[in-house]
Amino acid sequence: MKKLLLSPRYRALWPYLLLAGALLLLAVFAPWLTPQDPYVQDLSISLQPPGGDHLLGTDRYGRDLLSRVIAGSQTTLCASLLLLVFIAVVGSVIGIFCGYRGGWADTFLMRLSDVFLAFPEMVFAIAVAGVLGGGLIQAALALALIGWPKYARLARGLVLTIRTAPYMEAARMAGCSTLTILWQHVTPNVAGPILVTAALNVGTIIMELAGLSFLGLGAMPPTAEWGAMMNNGRSMLQTAPWIILGPGVAIFVSVAIFNLLGDKLRDVLDVRRK
Amino acid sequence: MKKQHNIKMALAVLVTAALLASGCGSQSGSKSAGDAKTFTYGTVAYGVSNQNTGTNPHDTYVGWSSIRYGIGETLFRFTNTMELEPWLAKDYEQIDDYTVKINLKDNICFSNGKKVTGEAVKACFEDLLQKHDRAPKDLKIESMTADGQSITIKSKEKVPALLNYLSDPYGCIIDVEAGEHDKIVIGTGPYEATSVSDTEIDLKKNENYWGETKPHMDKIVVKSITDGDTLTMAMQNGELDAVQGLPYSNLELFQNNDKYNVSQADTSRIYQVAFNFKTPALQDLRVRQAISMAIDKENFTKVLLHGQGTPAVGPFPASMTFGDNAVHTVAFDKEKAKGLLKEAGYADTDGDGYVDKDGKNLELRYLTYTSRQELPLLAEAAQADLKDIGIKLDVNATNNYKNFLKSGEYDLYSNAFVTAPTGDPEYYFSTHVLKSSAYNMGFYYNDRIESLEEQLRNTFGADKRSSIAIQMEQQILDDCAYFYASHLRMSFVMKKNVKGFAAHPSDYYEITPELAKD
Repeated sequence: MKKLLLSPRYRALWPYLLLAGALLLLAVFAPWLTPQDPYVQDLSISLQPPGGDHLLGTDRYGRDLLSRVIAGSQTTLCASLLLLVFIAVVGSVIGIFCGYRGGWADTFLMRLSDVFLAFPEMVFAIAVAGVLGGGLIQAALALALIGWPKYARLARGLVLTIRTAPYMEAARMAGCSTLTILWQHVTPNVAGPILVTAALNVGTIIMELAGLSFLGLGAMPPTAEWGAMMNNGRSMLQTAPWIILGPGVAIFVSVAIFNLLGDKLRDVLDVRRK
Repeated sequence: MKKQHNIKMALAVLVTAALLASGCGSQSGSKSAGDAKTFTYGTVAYGVSNQNTGTNPHDTYVGWSSIRYGIGETLFRFTNTMELEPWLAKDYEQIDDYTVKINLKDNICFSNGKKVTGEAVKACFEDLLQKHDRAPKDLKIESMTADGQSITIKSKEKVPALLNYLSDPYGCIIDVEAGEHDKIVIGTGPYEATSVSDTEIDLKKNENYWGETKPHMDKIVVKSITDGDTLTMAMQNGELDAVQGLPYSNLELFQNNDKYNVSQADTSRIYQVAFNFKTPALQDLRVRQAISMAIDKENFTKVLLHGQGTPAVGPFPASMTFGDNAVHTVAFDKEKAKGLLKEAGYADTDGDGYVDKDGKNLELRYLTYTSRQELPLLAEAAQADLKDIGIKLDVNATNNYKNFLKSGEYDLYSNAFVTAPTGDPEYYFSTHVLKSSAYNMGFYYNDRIESLEEQLRNTFGADKRSSIAIQMEQQILDDCAYFYASHLRMSFVMKKNVKGFAAHPSDYYEITPELAKD
């Protein structure tokens, strides 16, 4: 494995893995890395431009923006990744089940996924989050509702291609249980493409979650969340542009890193490119 | 082959011409604000969430749009000091405590040319009483008789503020015989609506306008632009001639700028927080007082509202005789607030930063909406201030707030409200602090308030009414039924060439016959 990861083909992955790892470390250890309390208001230092004690300036409540961007990494990145894991796992399990068993359950679940896929993603998420009443959990639920069919469809398609493969027949003839076949023979064969899809999807999920918060349908005040922070500074774009700059750059950098990582991962894992 | 080539050429020319034409079209559209005879006005105050879309004053708050945009006029109007003066009326005579006779000016016409008579006003008020939700409760009219250019109104009970109520936007006189078509009614104002939607009202000059000053503009376009940044940019790039409701932070872009004028007026619009008396923790006066003491309204007004308002004591601004100078409330003092919570039995026993009692944190749900830009700011400021004294506030800032109000899922409810739209204090009391009040969202009840209101209802004379109002306000403040944060200062921004467009303390009169462009 070590040899494989150090091989020239995998070596291209390392810079992106390191950058993504650094981002995740920042998110996990955010509470210990913020130079000031991101939630303490001090109206006497409201709207201070970048510099001095506040490298990214302060917002209208006098809160240190650098601290809020760092604290926001935890909310935005962790929530996005947890959501992605949830969507990918649930979607894949449904897809594998449908692909392997077929029958009426397959028909029903796939038609259901068709219904969800028929809606424009963000519009549907806005509608659902709006009905649920706003909040980070509600926003995540809305995105989960529209996110699972993509993985279900992918997993089902992959399972259908391997269901009649000789090694599957052999496993069945050897008396392996369904669970064993699914776990030992199906899952390893569908995991690669799902992992690549998930990696390519991280950036989109970050954008969508931040987008819902930007629209006031995600994180509620005073939670430091990049989308919500941008929304907070939106009305001061002309008078205090630094408020929107910090979280904006943070979203851009994170999405870029995860998208590049996804691209590289696809290059490395895609058998057709070998 | 050549023929085919010619067809292609012709098509290309057509497409180019169409593109040029569409380009010209959009250019002329955006230039409408530059046209000397067209006034384009952007506002955040018109829209479905404000319940004022349309022009029929007999429908909820639509009268505000009718009067603001120069379609409707009332019998009396408010001066800059919120005193009444005749408008469509010539004068009035108080016959007894229950009866008033109003004489109309002789030269008033609806925009369709029909003369405004006592009979027309009577028909209008009958329609109002039949359709409107608040008017019948305010006016308490028993009977009306019309005689030529006068109308005599008899009330079921004494209604000392009858003329003030008739000056509410719902009192706009419209031609009910002409009816309402496509949300358009016929009024007496300087302009008449030509098309009305939920996002725009188009108006044209009323050629039959009765006033001495005839309307100067040929056409007026009122656009609902609820996003503050869009509004700011539309004003900056010249699409609009004037705007209302700019974000406070953007106002400085237009102040002290040679290209624009700013008109401001202090209003009776209050940002307030109602305590829900059904919430057990808030039934304790000390907890309500602690919350009122901990929120820094001075800094909220100075910093977050950029000074565009005044910190409030009670519901009415200091400019009114029964306003903030006549009452007092608890002062901002976080240490004292902590002491009150301690007295009420709250202490942080588990060291999580929040006070608790019987093993339960003092956690409150704060409901508000976002269509008034000041309210989410107040919510977040209050959240931080209350955290300092150990109270956890869960803010729910949603425009779906009515569902939460209906289901009772809130402990504090913050809203904006014009407390004295008729220059009289009774309106606020009757809508907010009585058991029967429609907007008593905190379910506040006090016997003394009920009996003082009864007294106010039967008292004539501004001074006596003012004295009762002050007693009621003080009682509300002593009970800490509401927390009053700030009174709004309203601002209009307009291009330098716009004349006769000024903010009014009542928040009613915007487009008047005086409006002109150089």
